[in-house]
Amino acid sequence: MPGMPIHGYLVLSAILFVIGLAGVLVRRSPLVMLMSIELMWGAAALLFLTFARQWGTMAGHVFSFLIIVVGAAEAAIGLALIVLIFRTRDAADVDDVRALRG
Amino acid sequence: MPVDGSLGLILPEIVLAAAGMVVLAAGLTWRQSRLPGVLAILGIAASAAVLVNRVWGQTAEIWSGTVMVDGYANLFKAIFLAVAAMTVLVSLDYVHRNRLPAGEFYLLLLLATVGMMFMTGSLNLLTIYLGLECLSLASYSLSGMLRKSPRSTEAALKYILIGAVSSGIVLFGMSLLFGVAGSTHLRDIAQALAHNGSLAPVLVAGMMFLIAGLGVKMAAVPFHMWAPDVYHGSPAPVAAFLITASEAAAFGAALRIFLVGLPALADEWRTVFIVLAVISMTVGNITAILQTNMRRMLAYSAVAQAGYIMVGLAVASDRAVSAMLYYLMGYAFMTIGAFAVVILLGRQHPSEEISDFKGLGQRAPFFALALTIFLLSLIGIPPTAGFFGKFYLIQAAVGADLTWLAVVMMINSIISIPYYWGVVRTMYLREADDKAPLPAPAGLRWAAVIGVLGTLALGLFPDTFVQIVSAVQVVPAWISMAF
Repeated sequence: MPGMPIHGYLVLSAILFVIGLAGVLVRRSPLVMLMSIELMWGAAALLFLTFARQWGTMAGHVFSFLIIVVGAAEAAIGLALIVLIFRTRDAADVDDVRALRG
Repeated sequence: MPVDGSLGLILPEIVLAAAGMVVLAAGLTWRQSRLPGVLAILGIAASAAVLVNRVWGQTAEIWSGTVMVDGYANLFKAIFLAVAAMTVLVSLDYVHRNRLPAGEFYLLLLLATVGMMFMTGSLNLLTIYLGLECLSLASYSLSGMLRKSPRSTEAALKYILIGAVSSGIVLFGMSLLFGVAGSTHLRDIAQALAHNGSLAPVLVAGMMFLIAGLGVKMAAVPFHMWAPDVYHGSPAPVAAFLITASEAAAFGAALRIFLVGLPALADEWRTVFIVLAVISMTVGNITAILQTNMRRMLAYSAVAQAGYIMVGLAVASDRAVSAMLYYLMGYAFMTIGAFAVVILLGRQHPSEEISDFKGLGQRAPFFALALTIFLLSLIGIPPTAGFFGKFYLIQAAVGADLTWLAVVMMINSIISIPYYWGVVRTMYLREADDKAPLPAPAGLRWAAVIGVLGTLALGLFPDTFVQIVSAVQVVPAWISMAF
């Protein structure tokens, strides 16, 4: 992208990664943790796109597409597991976690 | 695409994935039958037959350098197929008794195996990552298969959260390597570094991310926190599969990434692996002593074993690599074999405490003897696979002027004797409350027999197997010639 130097993207990607990692370490709701993890993956995908642009190669684009696809699969399994856990526990627990979601 | 015959080179993977689909269809049609398990075994056998007949001995890199077929990849494919076959054997009765959905269970098992085959069968970060995810996604679902058990679902949730974080870390590391080289191929990354030494800081950062991410899969301290919970909570056959195959796949991919892609940073990553190896074996062994549950004990023992195997990665000479491969083979046989005995006992004692093993010497003499052999092998007593594995690793460490590391390894082997031997003593010297013989399903019996034969064959004819493993090259010859 003209005008914006490459290290702008590098810094943004690093910030996203750190926010994601901090989210996983600090928050205790599995749902928010999954969202934070997606942020880490997004940071990596952004980095791949940045470098792909810089090198003018398609490999990075392909890689970031695959990250998105795998991320979707991972989220599907993660959410299914969370639903399963809510089902095996009592209702109060579910309400607690729903409150955190907001 | 198949014009140049390249499709034939990944036929083992294709056969295995297709077998998975057949297994799934069979499982949906005949819900309460053992057919899916039998079909899974046949699929693995077909894949192994194709591997031996069509692919063995070939070397080629196909599809724009995304898939590498060579002796190293084929050796790992053989190990994974053997592990998968033994896992199906120990699952046959377990799946039926716990009313797990058989089709889905074996499908996921086969797909995880396919993922591992791609993970070690490539020099391209893209394929390694996809293989890793194929393995991970399947194993998350597998570990949560006991849907009614809170233990199993909790294990699965912990596994997916930690696994996804580790994937994110691996990805970030890979993106840094890609940024330096402009390519995801390990050969290009190595060349970029060879031509421009000033890139080293970025590569070191990428390397640290990769070590942390792969360290989670290897269950090396300090990335091992998930391992005891997952190995304890997930279905026992799944634990047996993850503890052996998943760890072997992580080591297989790590060898390729570090030896082919980052040889210029060898001093840096060797230091990190030495530290990880020492703390993994020490923490693993000491924590294992404190365990009263058999599966948690085996989990911490796996952490310690990962530490031993990592000595090979830390030394990284040709000799060390073949010692590692030898150890990984032996480790697969002895650990799945031990799990077969644990699963047998779990049929009557679901808690799987070590004290439940009392009197096993009378109740199931063959299985008690088998478990004794596996545990002796895990300690490292001749003439078992574990002894020669440790012996070769120690030899390699001494050869690389790391005598102190070899001494640490020997001290750790001694620390490990009490907790392994404690199980043997419980089996033979303590009387059982219920002396009735334990009925053994055929699948478990076969798995234990294969485990014993594998452990003893590797131990009695070590030279034959060392010849096989030292024939394979981690770094393909055409890459080393390019420099």
